[in-house]
Amino acid sequence: MRTISILLILPVFLVCAGLLHAAETVRVITKENAVRQQCKFYSPVRAKVRYNDPLTVLSRSGDWYKVSFRGVSGCIHKSALASGTYRLSGTLGGRGGGASADEVSLAGKGFNPQVEAAYKGRNPGLGYRSVDEIERYQAPDETFQAFLGKGGLTTP
Amino acid sequence: MKVNTCMPLAAAALCILAGCNLAGLSGALPSGLNSEHVTLAAKSARAVSVASRPISDSEEYYVGRAVAARILATYPLLRNSRLTEYVNLVGRTVALNSEKPNTYGGYHFAVLDSSEINAFACPGGTILITKGMVRAVRTEDELAAVLAHEVAHINHRDGIDAISKSRWTEALTIIGTETAKTYGSSDVARLTGIFEGSIDDVFKTLVVNGYGRGQEEDADRTSLGYLARAGYDPKALESFLSRLSVTGRGSSGGMMKTHPATSDRLENVRSSMPGSAADPVMEKARSARFAESTSF
Repeated sequence: MRTISILLILPVFLVCAGLLHAAETVRVITKENAVRQQCKFYSPVRAKVRYNDPLTVLSRSGDWYKVSFRGVSGCIHKSALASGTYRLSGTLGGRGGGASADEVSLAGKGFNPQVEAAYKGRNPGLGYRSVDEIERYQAPDETFQAFLGKGGLTTP
Repeated sequence: MKVNTCMPLAAAALCILAGCNLAGLSGALPSGLNSEHVTLAAKSARAVSVASRPISDSEEYYVGRAVAARILATYPLLRNSRLTEYVNLVGRTVALNSEKPNTYGGYHFAVLDSSEINAFACPGGTILITKGMVRAVRTEDELAAVLAHEVAHINHRDGIDAISKSRWTEALTIIGTETAKTYGSSDVARLTGIFEGSIDDVFKTLVVNGYGRGQEEDADRTSLGYLARAGYDPKALESFLSRLSVTGRGSSGGMMKTHPATSDRLENVRSSMPGSAADPVMEKARSARFAESTSF
């Protein structure tokens, strides 16, 4: 009887262990982002990550996740992440980021580059070139850090 | 037979409750459940969640790009590298102190070559501020207050809320529940029509009619928190609005057309003012660089 019980419980235990392990993976939900050396927005970049890249969670510190990506470890803010799997992460204490896991499954659906291209075709006079120019601009992290320091300002 | 009907339903219910991927569990199925049931259950669960889903972050980004493109067709971009960098640094500081420091496409700030006093928060994170507005603010803290107010509109999804519900419901019937990322030509034509209508909805709200009074007051209240967390003086919003209520009298264009009476906003801001005060020495340093960066 005891052997039968063990045989019944063991697979359940193994499946649960697997599910808990899966919950430690998160995915990037922004177009681009960075794994940084320290948990600060202007800290040096250790690895660049892109939408849907899977990151292994090492630990959490406030609003920041310490993660590992392709052998590089560092920090990324929770608002750039969502739970990486649908495997019971909600009920087994999975640590999703600021957004729902659905964001990952909705990648490329609905209003997407294909729809934007068709819209641009119908409206050639719109200022998409200026929009691209605005999006390309990014002040360097060092400039931002100096700006904060000289102005007595802070970021999380 | 009864089992065959119930199993996918039970599995779907479980899937919805647990947010699980049943397809991933197909190797360990209880008796009575086969892979067909699992696929059907997963599709049903996805259909339930997709049928009523809100606009996703990436969709919001494409709406925001189109709204910005429409605004930029009317107001040309001011190309002044020093001012652009400065506005981006101030804007980035308040955005990182908001409840959502990361959006799908990130925050971007730019100045429009227009004397009108106005600012626009395009869904997803692009904020456009007019040259007239840069001239209307007197300190970096006031500029931060204006940008923080716009960041709050983005985080509250006020622009996206302007899209009519029936339009989005129609879009969802085309988008469907399949995971395909590309659409056939007729679906693209229909989706593009809905997209175009959605851009009209948002554009009219941002540029013509303005947000509701409640949305403006919420954005003001929220922005005070961003300013305080960043180290800016939240009172800068009050000082800017006070001045606007005097200088804006008699003006009917730009911000005065699309925003509620500044006297009402002032009352709301005063009653929500946080207790923290900014360091006056640092405030002076910020005002000096403001004067330097905005001398155009």
